Amino acid sequence: MPAVLVAVGAVCLLLSVGLCFLNTHEGNRAEGVQFFMHSYLTNYMYCLSFGLGALFFVLVQFLCRAGWSASVRRLAEIMASTLPLMAILFLPIIVMVLMTNSVSLYEWNTDKPEGLIAAKKGFLNGPFFAVRSLVYFLVFIGSAYFVYSNSRRQDESGDAKITLKIQAFSGPLIMLYALAISFASFDWVMSIDADWYSTIFGVIIFAGSMLAFFSLLAISCMLLQRNGKLVKYVTVENYHDIAKFMFGFVMFWAYVSFSQYLLYWYGDIPEETIWYQIRINTDNGWPYIAVILLFCHFVIPFLGLLSRHVRRHRTGLFFWACWLLIAHWIDLSFLILPNAGPVESMFLVGHLLGFIGMVSIFLAMLLLKSINVPLVAVRDPRVPEALSYHNIIV
Amino acid sequence: MAHKHKTKKEPAAPKSFGWMAEFVDEQQLLVAARKLRDSGYTKTDAFTPFPVHGIDEALGIKPTILPFIVLCAGMTGTCTALLLEWYTNAFDYPYIISGKPFASWPAFIPVSFELTILFSAFTTFLGMLALNGLPKFSNPVFTNPRFDRATNDRFFLYVDSKDRYYNRDAVHKLLKDTHPESLEEVLEDESSADIPQPIWMGITTLAIFSLIPLAAIYLIRESRSEEPRFHIFLDMDFQPKKKSQQTTTIFADGRVTRPQVAGTIARGQYAPTGSYYLGYDPEKVASLESAKATRFVTLGQPPAETAGSPEEGTPPAPQEPAPTAPAAEAKPTGTPATTPAPAAPTATEATPATEPAPAQPPAADAAKPADAAAPAAAPATATGEVNLDTLPWLTDFPEGVATEANMARGKQRFEIYCGACHGITGDGNGLVAGRAAELAQGYWTPPTSLHDAKIRQQPVGRIFHTITNGKGKMGGYSSQINAEDRWAIALYVRALQRSRNAKIEDVPEGERAALGNP
Repeated sequence: MPAVLVAVGAVCLLLSVGLCFLNTHEGNRAEGVQFFMHSYLTNYMYCLSFGLGALFFVLVQFLCRAGWSASVRRLAEIMASTLPLMAILFLPIIVMVLMTNSVSLYEWNTDKPEGLIAAKKGFLNGPFFAVRSLVYFLVFIGSAYFVYSNSRRQDESGDAKITLKIQAFSGPLIMLYALAISFASFDWVMSIDADWYSTIFGVIIFAGSMLAFFSLLAISCMLLQRNGKLVKYVTVENYHDIAKFMFGFVMFWAYVSFSQYLLYWYGDIPEETIWYQIRINTDNGWPYIAVILLFCHFVIPFLGLLSRHVRRHRTGLFFWACWLLIAHWIDLSFLILPNAGPVESMFLVGHLLGFIGMVSIFLAMLLLKSINVPLVAVRDPRVPEALSYHNIIV
Repeated sequence: MAHKHKTKKEPAAPKSFGWMAEFVDEQQLLVAARKLRDSGYTKTDAFTPFPVHGIDEALGIKPTILPFIVLCAGMTGTCTALLLEWYTNAFDYPYIISGKPFASWPAFIPVSFELTILFSAFTTFLGMLALNGLPKFSNPVFTNPRFDRATNDRFFLYVDSKDRYYNRDAVHKLLKDTHPESLEEVLEDESSADIPQPIWMGITTLAIFSLIPLAAIYLIRESRSEEPRFHIFLDMDFQPKKKSQQTTTIFADGRVTRPQVAGTIARGQYAPTGSYYLGYDPEKVASLESAKATRFVTLGQPPAETAGSPEEGTPPAPQEPAPTAPAAEAKPTGTPATTPAPAAPTATEATPATEPAPAQPPAADAAKPADAAAPAAAPATATGEVNLDTLPWLTDFPEGVATEANMARGKQRFEIYCGACHGITGDGNGLVAGRAAELAQGYWTPPTSLHDAKIRQQPVGRIFHTITNGKGKMGGYSSQINAEDRWAIALYVRALQRSRNAKIEDVPEGERAALGNP
């Protein structure tokens, strides 16, 4: 199954390259390459965000000694352990930055930067970018591996001290994580528009990642339970809590996205508003996406998840989880693609194919990582608490 | 126990409020609670030292309607904020802030968000109190001292006698079967259910005291008095500083406004002389016309030393020549450039004074040619107006101005300071001009196009002078832009002008081919 998925993914990605490369306006190949690179980054960040969200979730559960989540935490650990494999998919970008002077993705990746970018050359240059990316991945992969391997060891020994050990490290790790995800967002995503900057950008990426992760967690639990796994371990109370997080991060995403917008709207400084200029003040369709995001990423799911009856209702929750996964993809596309220049209709097909390809590969990683692994941290001392957990009825 | 069988008619008889069972752990409590629930009792309650998972479900507590109340309150908060902001900003008192529209929805959202939270939080708290029937100053369950352990290590289950299915003996039996640690009837509390008197007195006292500030404010606002206003905060009305024309004890002479310290130049009063800062050659001016010469040269000089120093309380004013006589015949032996600039400028006679204004001790008594004496003698200069067209402007840039770096600097400064009105290309069609023309208010003077023949023919010194001192509605820029940059801008303006009228000879030999036209 993973092999099939990888094959499907690879074929889709190749098709995506092909579509972008061949269907360019007036044979302008550079345009196609530019779009494909942006599309690749979008889909890459999409799949990476599950792992990033899962890693934060796991760390924060240990940090605050949470009992309710002990039964679903292993799933999050598995998702976080896809991060090393996802790092491999980042190699094309590293190679592009190190080996070429292509500005098809990062406009600073040139020998002759001009204007503001020239002033940022000390930070935004190929080798330093690669080194920083390495550090980010070391933090992500290191934390994920540390938690996962210790948790697996607990499966064997049942030693409660292991929980205390992860707990002790989770605080420092979460600080490293916060720095890493913030700067990774700056480098990987924000620097495609190297003139522009927003200090809250990392938080926006983080909010989207958490939302995507919780949605995927809810869907995974439901699919596993339908197939007879985890039946006794994940109760409606767990779903309710996951849904509460989804609800909260819907709000949080809107909060941070609007914070960025409000400040730039109010300041009205050209070098800051340029980012919105090409997104909501043009006639190339992106303004519609902005409105769709406002409603589909915030207003509608906010109202949809407002009721506890929906949050405790399996089908309802499944629906909103799928909805938010799609909304998250649109969100990342909105963050990245407008910088890719004009969009041909066949480019969009390419983008969709790239999405299918990347998600297939991600699912393959997920399956690969969950083979022969207990889906619940069975001997975690907090599992009984999770099973007897009830939400207070309010 | 004997009391229980007494009837209600006897006032002293304690009334039964229900049964209270005590358990040693929460599992027993949950079992008993489920049993009660399954028997149909609804007016039940549990008291535990910590939150017990599942107790709501075990007691059969229905979800509360509080969330819906809070939702409504939250939406009320949102609407209140939006309405308030729209009313104040866009309707009642429209005021342009940061060039934004009156009804700026993005700016309204933070306040709406906060007010939503505020209304929701208050409603949650007050609604919780109201739905629980709180505050309640007395509860019969407290009559039993055993109940104190509900906050310590015991778990209590209570069945209220007001329950629909309440039957004293049946409930007793039911609870007895759950093997409680103890099972006792809750009897009437002898204390009154009213709010205790000290609390009433406290509330009343507070209420009365809280009226005092209000009454004071009302009194101050409504009464008339000769006395200065009563100030709680002095910050704005009485500031610890002195204003001009006031007196002080800090300095011996009692003056607040200090005379300028000798040998210093006040901020903004530094007026460097020399053609580099003036745009024209002051020495040539001197050779042209004595009157103008004196005026311009003295303008460029620091105030001359006033010999008749105001030492002995002689105020400076009397030194000014009194407008005594039209004494036009008074041959000026000395040039008038002796007193500080304002008094000097209008020398009235046409006699060429070649030596430019040596500082002479003013004769305090002298009937100087007065300002008022001038009009007939020298109409052109008496008003202080200067004919700019005849000034000896610099026609070439000063040494070191015409450089490549200065051209780039001038372009940048021009686009920052001048482009807004004159346009980036100097056509007089900048953003401000366009905006003003759009408003069509009628009193807008359009900026001059720098490509006008009139402007093109102006010497560079005059362009520099215009940048420095302004022209018409345009203000001078000497305070924002230093002289080096003003020259750089003048250089760039020249380049702009030339770009419109370039000949092929102006293009370097090597680059003519690039233009395409042979």
